[in-house]
Amino acid sequence: MILEQLINGITLGSIYAIVALGFTLVFGVLGIINMAHGEIFMFGAFIGVIMTSTLGLPIWVAFLAAIIVTAILGYMLERFALRPLRGKQGVSHLAPLISTIGVSILLENVSHHLFGAGNHPFRNAFADISFQIGSITIYLVQILIFVISILLMMALSYWLSKTKAGKALRATAENLETASLLGVNTKKIIVLTVVIASAMGGIAGILVGMAFNSVNPQMGLSMGLKGLAIIILGGMGNVKGAMAGGLILGLSETLIVAYGDSGYRDAIAFIAIIIILMLRPQGLFGQKTTEAGR
Amino acid sequence: MSKLVKKPFLLLAVLMLVVLSACSGGGSETATEEKPADEGGQASGAIKAKIGVISYITGPGAAYGEAITNGLKLAQKEINAEGKVDIELVIEDSAGEQEQALSAAQKIMSDDDIVSIIGPTLSTEMNVVGPEADLNGIPIMGTSTTAEGIPQIGEYVFRNSIPEALAIPASIKKAVEKYDAKKVAILYGNDDVFTKSGFDTMEKTAKDMGLEILTIETFQKGQSDYNAQLTKIKSLNPDLILASALYNEGAVIMGQARKMGIDVPFVGGNGFNSPQVIEIAGEAANGLIVATPWFGEKDDPKVKSFNEKYEAEYKKLPDQFAAQAYDGLYIMAEALKNAGEADRDKVKDALLEIKDLEGILGKFSFDEEGDVVMDPTVLIIEDGQFKQFE
Amino acid sequence: MLGEFINPYYLQVASFILINIILGLSIYVTLSSGQLSLGSAGFMGIGAYTSALLTINFDLPIIAGIIAGALVAGILGILIGIPSLRLQGVYLAIATLGFGEVIRVFFVNWESVTKGAVGISNIPHIGREIFRMLRDSGFDPGVLGLKNNQFVFLTVFILLLIVNIFVVWFLIRQNKSRVGRAFASIKMDEKAAEAMGINITYYKVLAFTQGAVLSGFAGALYAHVMAYISPADFAYHRAVEILIFAVFGGSEVIWGAIFGAAFMTTMPEVLRFISEYRYMIYGLVLIVMMAFRPQGIIDAQVLDWFKKRKLPKRRVDHGSSNQKHL
Repeated sequence: MILEQLINGITLGSIYAIVALGFTLVFGVLGIINMAHGEIFMFGAFIGVIMTSTLGLPIWVAFLAAIIVTAILGYMLERFALRPLRGKQGVSHLAPLISTIGVSILLENVSHHLFGAGNHPFRNAFADISFQIGSITIYLVQILIFVISILLMMALSYWLSKTKAGKALRATAENLETASLLGVNTKKIIVLTVVIASAMGGIAGILVGMAFNSVNPQMGLSMGLKGLAIIILGGMGNVKGAMAGGLILGLSETLIVAYGDSGYRDAIAFIAIIIILMLRPQGLFGQKTTEAGR
Repeated sequence: MSKLVKKPFLLLAVLMLVVLSACSGGGSETATEEKPADEGGQASGAIKAKIGVISYITGPGAAYGEAITNGLKLAQKEINAEGKVDIELVIEDSAGEQEQALSAAQKIMSDDDIVSIIGPTLSTEMNVVGPEADLNGIPIMGTSTTAEGIPQIGEYVFRNSIPEALAIPASIKKAVEKYDAKKVAILYGNDDVFTKSGFDTMEKTAKDMGLEILTIETFQKGQSDYNAQLTKIKSLNPDLILASALYNEGAVIMGQARKMGIDVPFVGGNGFNSPQVIEIAGEAANGLIVATPWFGEKDDPKVKSFNEKYEAEYKKLPDQFAAQAYDGLYIMAEALKNAGEADRDKVKDALLEIKDLEGILGKFSFDEEGDVVMDPTVLIIEDGQFKQFE
Repeated sequence: MLGEFINPYYLQVASFILINIILGLSIYVTLSSGQLSLGSAGFMGIGAYTSALLTINFDLPIIAGIIAGALVAGILGILIGIPSLRLQGVYLAIATLGFGEVIRVFFVNWESVTKGAVGISNIPHIGREIFRMLRDSGFDPGVLGLKNNQFVFLTVFILLLIVNIFVVWFLIRQNKSRVGRAFASIKMDEKAAEAMGINITYYKVLAFTQGAVLSGFAGALYAHVMAYISPADFAYHRAVEILIFAVFGGSEVIWGAIFGAAFMTTMPEVLRFISEYRYMIYGLVLIVMMAFRPQGIIDAQVLDWFKKRKLPKRRVDHGSSNQKHL
């Protein structure tokens, strides 16, 4: 059983990691926590469901559609909820957080109305392909999820460190004004960041639909809170940290169910948040910053 | 206290009262029957009664409230046509929230003409509204509240919805007999009143029957991944899996279980017995055993005729919520007839005396606490359909 | 005859408003020292469960239960507040959010004590208890021309009103005192305040704890007015609702929280027909408020405007602003 549970844990963890990558991008560049990220993820999953189950289109179309829709949502989030706050004087640093909380509630309810409150099955032949190794069944989807998450992380790391756009993004993250003085089009970079982060949320959403076969509007809240836990665990703004944090959380949740009391599964994430914030606010991989602690 | 504080505070208090008085009667719906004035003889002698209804009309669970209200209205039409009782329904929306249910109840109870209340929809709402109704001496009956302890709230509190305490032992017993099961695993949602209450009954029944409980696993709302719990259950090899879940989660659980090779039958509680399970889980739903008061495909003329009437009126087939509400109003009407007049206490007493009333769900009686005495039907999903489980 | 005026429905809604005002004030207090706490739902739950369990299992009188609930919440506030000192802004908000969720998970899982998700019912109800006490001692509300439930809710309303007036008075006094000024200075610039010799640790923990006590107090009241609580009543959604009271109504002044709570509680009642879209509207409210008026509807300027309209004309003639300086 332990092998099967490890596979479960890694699959879950990889999905968490992809969600966390989106969170960490936005935090790294804008310094804000996007509480609506979980809902954008959930929207991506629903688009996937509609494309495959309702319209019967092939899976790659679903992926594309989900990426496009979530990217658009990300753009709208930036444009209407975040940008108005950037120019103002004297706006507290809490305002963007509250604004994204508003977006998350809005999206959750819009999806209730659009998609109905229940679970929607995600039926796709691709999701049924599996291999047998001994007594264990591994699904192609599970392997795919793990591979995709690693690829995304590597691609993101590479992009951030080697490409011009990536460097511009890091410059903006470091200091908005200086970057803009140096000729970086910070507005475009910011929009790009949010859009990429949201698209990643959308990818994670479809993967969840494929792996677990169900999508419901409540997924967003739970995933959003877990994503928070992960970036705090791994260090906000740190790509490798998000990956590691995601895997750690996925594995510990699975193991606590396997060997302990499944009721406390959700508590792990939150207890982790509290402990890390108290003991090592910059996370496992993060740099010590003055904002995090005193 | 300075003047500066007193005046604005008073202003605010006055403002509040003004706003409150402005919202008089917002949102309540009254369903009256048109009385054909020239068809004499029918209306005279009929007991006129106003019945308040608190229903989950808006919000995520609105489907339940809609089914219940539809069932009530269908029954109302028929009962009024019979001429012995003339019922007017005063419908309020609680949106599934206890606070709103309580406010709705207050609105209803402040009308002295209302003789009894049907609803609210959720057990959590009933827990809050029941004591108020009991204090005010107005009989209240739930048609969908199945958690433990509801009729025990007070002598004025009743329900006609088969509680988990009746349904679950029936299904478990039949399943154990048929499959000669000795070891079971239990899986339940521990953050929902309904599924937790169902679990309590499942655990008790399993213990009473001497079954070996291999493990007890929980899951929470919003979770999509049940693999960890299911893998653990699979490794322990149970004969049956008892799952207390609402049909949304339940269907997904069965899907994931079948995917990982768990073939044993599932026994579910009240929330699991919806045709939606088949839609969501497809073939994976085969092997689900549930007890239900309502079996739409029963070979019974009353059931068939109810299906036809409901479909003609509302363009879809009824579910157990509509059926229980329909029978519920009939029960209320019967009590009114026996009481002879629309008096709260007389109706309460008459309700307690109801024995073996034939409804579309079967024979119905109240026990001395106002709880249900009825035989549930046990069903199993086979070949993608609900069938009676022998 | 009194019976015609007193409608339990209105009293019911008014009672909820009063409880929500206390909740809104709990966020206001912590905000006034520059800290955003999203854990108010958790503290509310602690107050509610403590009081419910003590009154049911140990037969404590309701008042003792409520005070105990507020105290326990306060103690936890101190315990959480001290380590949280090191956290700034967003990090604190998240830590408190995590705390609130952990509390909820504990309520759900600690079945032997809290009965888990099933919730605790039959909690002694303030109004009904008083009603029974009076009836036992021979007094009959029928004398005043009131029905049972009218009397019950009237008592609840009056008690809550008295409590509210006291809390508001206390907070106003505190704002004018040294404590209030310390809070304000910490909110403006923590490091500067520290440099000026203000004991930041003490004041921040004080603000945080006051918020916790108020939330716990409101929670206990809630338990004894609803007579039934379950862990779902104290989830993330509740914390967001409370946040909206302060954010929408006005996060910088006491009247803001009061207005926000009153407005947000009556809206669903007045606009029942849009209750389906309620949460969408909440979301939009947050977004729009932050974009256009982050300090909320009522802020110091609006209050000044009120004051100018209220005071008699004398001031205009006699005030120093009108004196001609030679």
